[in-house]
Amino acid sequence: MPPLELLLQQAFNGLMLGVMYALIAVGFTLFFGVLDVIHFSHGDIFMLGAFAGLSVLAGLHAAGIGGGAVALALAFLASILITGLVGVAAERVCVKPLARSSPLMTLLATLSLGLVIRESVLIFYPRGADPKRFPQLLPQGGFELGGVAVRYENLAILAIGFCAMVAVDLIINRTRMGAAIRAVAQDPEAAQMMGVNLDRTVDATFFIGSGLAAVAGLLSGLYYGEVHFIMGITGGVIGFSAAAIGGLGNVYGAIVGGLLFGMLQTTSAALIPRGSEFRDVVAFAVVMLFLIFRPSGILGEKSVERV
Amino acid sequence: MLLVLLTESALFVLIAAAVLAERPVALAATGAAILAGLAATRFVTPLRTALGRAFERHHATALVGGAAGALALPLALSASPYWTFVATLALLYVTIGQGLNFQIGTAGVLNLAGAAFAGLGGYTVGLLTVSAGWPSWLAVLVGPLVAVTVGAVLFVPILKTRGHYLALVTIAFVFIFNILMNNLEFTGGPQGIKNIPTLQLAGYPFTTKPTVFGIGLPAHANFYYAALLMAALTTWIIRRLYDSWLGLALNTLRDDEIAAKCCGISITRGKLVAFSIGNFFIGLGGAFYAVMVGFVSPPDFDFGYSLVMLSVIIIGGVDSIPGVILGACLLVPLPERFRFLHEYRLLLYGVVIVVMLLYRPQGLWPAKVRRYR
Repeated sequence: MPPLELLLQQAFNGLMLGVMYALIAVGFTLFFGVLDVIHFSHGDIFMLGAFAGLSVLAGLHAAGIGGGAVALALAFLASILITGLVGVAAERVCVKPLARSSPLMTLLATLSLGLVIRESVLIFYPRGADPKRFPQLLPQGGFELGGVAVRYENLAILAIGFCAMVAVDLIINRTRMGAAIRAVAQDPEAAQMMGVNLDRTVDATFFIGSGLAAVAGLLSGLYYGEVHFIMGITGGVIGFSAAAIGGLGNVYGAIVGGLLFGMLQTTSAALIPRGSEFRDVVAFAVVMLFLIFRPSGILGEKSVERV
Repeated sequence: MLLVLLTESALFVLIAAAVLAERPVALAATGAAILAGLAATRFVTPLRTALGRAFERHHATALVGGAAGALALPLALSASPYWTFVATLALLYVTIGQGLNFQIGTAGVLNLAGAAFAGLGGYTVGLLTVSAGWPSWLAVLVGPLVAVTVGAVLFVPILKTRGHYLALVTIAFVFIFNILMNNLEFTGGPQGIKNIPTLQLAGYPFTTKPTVFGIGLPAHANFYYAALLMAALTTWIIRRLYDSWLGLALNTLRDDEIAAKCCGISITRGKLVAFSIGNFFIGLGGAFYAVMVGFVSPPDFDFGYSLVMLSVIIIGGVDSIPGVILGACLLVPLPERFRFLHEYRLLLYGVVIVVMLLYRPQGLWPAKVRRYR
């Protein structure tokens, strides 16, 4: 049994990962809510967010605006905007037109679109095959609290992540667009009859979801100090798993699921011998068990089937 | 009848030319000929109806002609061991595709772990032959059974959940499989298992170069004929299953679970049967792959290959048995042919599939509606 401090430390690290996973998972769950589709290129959109941020940072650096906080804020804004628009384009091209056909079609179309995004970054980003170093812009240093090393940059990542989540919560619960999103999620036809513009609502949902993925991508770059064009594959699968554990369609479920997945990964890395290699096995195995015993997720509603 | 045979010979010549053309002029001429042929059959209505009627009436002749073409292909490709290998690979994908199509197309069991089940077959062959010293042919027969068993044990509880969740669980399974193969000791880690002995049937090792009608063939031709036999048998078995009560029951299950239940079809049992039959053929393809190339390693069975398998059945036509054959014979060799585009290959592959799904979602050779007399 590893000492308690190590476990606490890993749980804290898991919280960090969990915030990123949660941000990706919220996208999955939002898309599922409005269109009943799984948008499998979302993982690659997350990767694109990281690269968009990196390019903006590089551009700002070249232009001489290198001041940490300002550059970072600009990078976040630009990346959210770019990635959000790409997300909307992805939806227009290959999610919406296929939404009425079988889920298999959307699945393959979005998986292929993910491949296209991934390969485009690989080919068109300069030396795209190599992992890219991500500038360390968050305050360095830290302190120790009860045996757990807390770094300032970790706190900053948590803060940014929670701000993003609160922002989404406010958008969904306090704005007109949020009300439209909730209405469409409940019943698209009835919502349209009440004067909700379906196309605009779906566009807005994909913008929000993809923007969150961009935030997650930037946070991931800041946390690991590097980004790589294949990070979207695992990012996407984990995000989807997190959304499924939480219950597809439920935003809070996705957040809980993301945090849970992150904690599972890190604590299993600490508890199991050679755990860092097998941590994903444990995490995915738990996801499988979860779906067996509680297929609608933690916060998902039980769906009653009618003929 | 003459028309059928003529069309098939023309097709054979075009395929051989498309594969073998090296110089730009020859390649361009072949490409133009193929496009002209496609355009003629598509837009010249009398030709189109005549061909359609001829193929419908002389069904048996068409099949025999197709078989003769498939048997003769290695002779045309005898100068190129590489293309014989690619053709064999396409046949493996036919086998795997038929299995996967039985799961996804016929029964609606969304399996994205095709690569993992093929990997289970392949790794079983590797372990049994290299570590336990079994003969290759026996290992190739046992490999698929392992895939079936693992699939049945792990997935019984999950088969009840449907659609998206099954997709997720199978994706997770591919990842688990890959991580395990990469990190376990007995599977050789990232190196995989090397030196898998080649097939040997009745004292005839598959590495000897056969000679047919005085034409020396590359050693891969042995595997080609074995894979052809395997693909043909698989297609025949799947065809029989599809036409039987089981195929009909599974179709019902796919279209409407509640209605199927009302008709007395057990959902779990139906899905499990379809899943196991499919996994058998997927595992068989993987096992054959292992003895053909002589080694297995984790990257041979990663998630990307699940995608290729899925693309094969969707491009061909979901639930369409001839569609799978067409899909495999297009999707496997085409990227090889376009190797000169090397870095843009995968990008174009993705674009082609998206465009295909948007404009022809039923596939190139859509499944026919079942007919009963």
